[in-house]
Amino acid sequence: MSQQATALPPEAEAQHEPGYLAVSNVTKRFGAATVLDSLSLSVGRAEFVSLLGPSGCGKTTLLRLIAGLLAPDQGAIEVGGRDLTRVAAHRRNIGVVFQNYALFPHLTVAENIAYGLRAKGVPKAEQAKKVADALGLVRMEAFADRAVTALSGGQQQRIAVARAVVVEPSLLLLDEPFSALDRKLRETMQIELRHILRDLGITSIFVTHDQDEALVMSDRIAVMNEGRIEHLGTPSEVYARPKSLYTMEFVGQSSRIGGVVTGGRDGLVEIDTPFGLIRAPGHFLSGSKVVVGVRPEAIAAGEGPAGEYNTVRGTVAEVIYFGSRTLLHFRTAQDDDRLHVELNRLPDTVSPGVEMTVRWRVDDSRVFPAPAGDDR
Amino acid sequence: MTLARDDLAVASTAKPARWSFDAKALIAAPGLIFMGLAFAVPVLMLIGDSFVDRDGLSLAGYRKVLGDPYYIGIIGNSLQLACITTAVCLAVGYPAAWALARIRGVWQVILFALIFLPLTVSIVVKTFGLTIMMRRDGIINFLLVNLGFIERPMRLVFTEFSLYFGMVNVFLPFMILPLYSVMRMLDPRLLDASASLGAGPVHTFLRVTLPLTMPGVIAGGTLVFSISVAAYVTPGLLVGDRFMTMSQVMAKAYLNIRDFQLGASMAVIMLVISAALILASSYLVRTPGGERR
Ligand SMILES: Nc1ncnc2c1ncn2[C@@H]1O[C@H](COP(=O)(O)OP(=O)(O)O)[C@@H](O)[C@H]1O
Ligand SMILES: [Mg+2]
Repeated sequence: MSQQATALPPEAEAQHEPGYLAVSNVTKRFGAATVLDSLSLSVGRAEFVSLLGPSGCGKTTLLRLIAGLLAPDQGAIEVGGRDLTRVAAHRRNIGVVFQNYALFPHLTVAENIAYGLRAKGVPKAEQAKKVADALGLVRMEAFADRAVTALSGGQQQRIAVARAVVVEPSLLLLDEPFSALDRKLRETMQIELRHILRDLGITSIFVTHDQDEALVMSDRIAVMNEGRIEHLGTPSEVYARPKSLYTMEFVGQSSRIGGVVTGGRDGLVEIDTPFGLIRAPGHFLSGSKVVVGVRPEAIAAGEGPAGEYNTVRGTVAEVIYFGSRTLLHFRTAQDDDRLHVELNRLPDTVSPGVEMTVRWRVDDSRVFPAPAGDDR
Repeated sequence: MTLARDDLAVASTAKPARWSFDAKALIAAPGLIFMGLAFAVPVLMLIGDSFVDRDGLSLAGYRKVLGDPYYIGIIGNSLQLACITTAVCLAVGYPAAWALARIRGVWQVILFALIFLPLTVSIVVKTFGLTIMMRRDGIINFLLVNLGFIERPMRLVFTEFSLYFGMVNVFLPFMILPLYSVMRMLDPRLLDASASLGAGPVHTFLRVTLPLTMPGVIAGGTLVFSISVAAYVTPGLLVGDRFMTMSQVMAKAYLNIRDFQLGASMAVIMLVISAALILASSYLVRTPGGERR
């Protein structure tokens, strides 16, 4: 996944004119439930930003607000400097690819794609040309006269994308477009869609609950939790330097070790944990309850030089084989604590029950305040 | 463009071999036998009656009905009654069905009750109720006078207004029900998709909502038309002999003047009108693209 995450060359990133889409302090309530809580989000021109979060965290609601299909209770939405907060959906020129595609069942493939052109009064001849181009873009030329109901999920998906981009929207919103596709097709489509949208230079917001998908496709990822954005950053920032425990645990695998700060100096804190004393970068008062997070691939077998490394000893509880790598789970007294170690080559001696020493760089440890209600 | 679609539709409907016996058809046997005895036999007898008079085979009945301006006028009355009733029911029922399909919770229950509870009341009772409301000292005149719309109570019963009012009152649920069942199936995201593609509410209605709800329009329209063209009780009670309909002619032919051939001929003509309409509508619903403008 990491090779594809760097898909965009660095100079392209600099081209994104910032603040093209500006969502400012948007709040949305359904009855007593606050689904979006004063949420702000800024997306650059031609940027591809993923909204990543668990089901029910408000991703679809945010998309619908941006598209104008829902009205916010508070806040403003601007695209390209134009305030759209009170503008009707059909005057916003914001394309949407819906989760179930929402193709018009009474129209053919070509008629579906022409729908928006027709609504905007594009002349017939130009319509035909644009429809043909759009079909070519998603490699569905042969299907122009088919009924959309006769298409497979992946084909419907392509048509939904073609229908949305053919009107040249100023912004494209995609709501879990791949959630109904099987894994293989999904991976092909991810790369294909990314190429299409980059070629067209369309600013896109892509909703997903799949972290791998977000890491692979995005220029930046907005990790959402309960109607707020926890972390907005590039895939590597979000993965390697998560701003919150939530982000750390939601994106990728992570170890989680609870402990109490016993002291600190030079930007490092010392934490007493069930695995012994651990050091990590950060500033916390002595006595604070914290949680240390470490990515499994940052951990290696064997001792490391003191000072630069944390070295701990533990009992292997489980060995999970993934082919190219193996994941080890270490046990402690506390149920919630877990130490996950990823090894590319497994020492012969390792099996459940064996005691083992592992190490990771102090810099690879992240410390977060323990969540409220976490009694340790 | 429509060719490929027609091929598809044919391919999907023509799959089962036409005349191979399917045991599931036996389940319909009790219903079919009952309908055969209670419906087909009388209809066949009626058709037979329409072709005979005292002296044997004759077309005198049809000649009378189709040759006499008086009877032609009555057929016209029935068709006019059915057309206007259907049109008004559609105009009033379409938005009502839409609301019913979109509203949730308590309001949906209330709306349902308002629209469908009247079905449990007999037509005679409802129509009599209307005549009471519409009398010179009835509530409608009372309101109109007291709100200052008119100076003196006006005649409402035995007017065409009362007729259409009563017909719509009786037949509206038969329009709403098929519309509602189609609209409930309409994915609201299609309307969102239409808006996001730049289509305003009118365009969306004409290009998405209407085509996709057309099967409900056709079903409701056919149902209301074919029962209102045969309406007997409501026109009889609300306008009486001033506005004769085909059903009233039939009743008179059988009960008063005992001209069975006349009654049977009128009945067969009505049957032909309804059957033609039902055939046409099922053709419209089934033809791919038929639901399109
Ligand atoms: N129209 C609505 N009425 C009431 N509650 C809603 C409505 N739409 C969404 N919600 C609620 O808002 C929350 C967020 O929904 P949604 O934005 O669809 O989440 P996601 O797309 O992240 O899964 C959910 O708890 C959902 O039940
Ligand atoms: Mg959603």
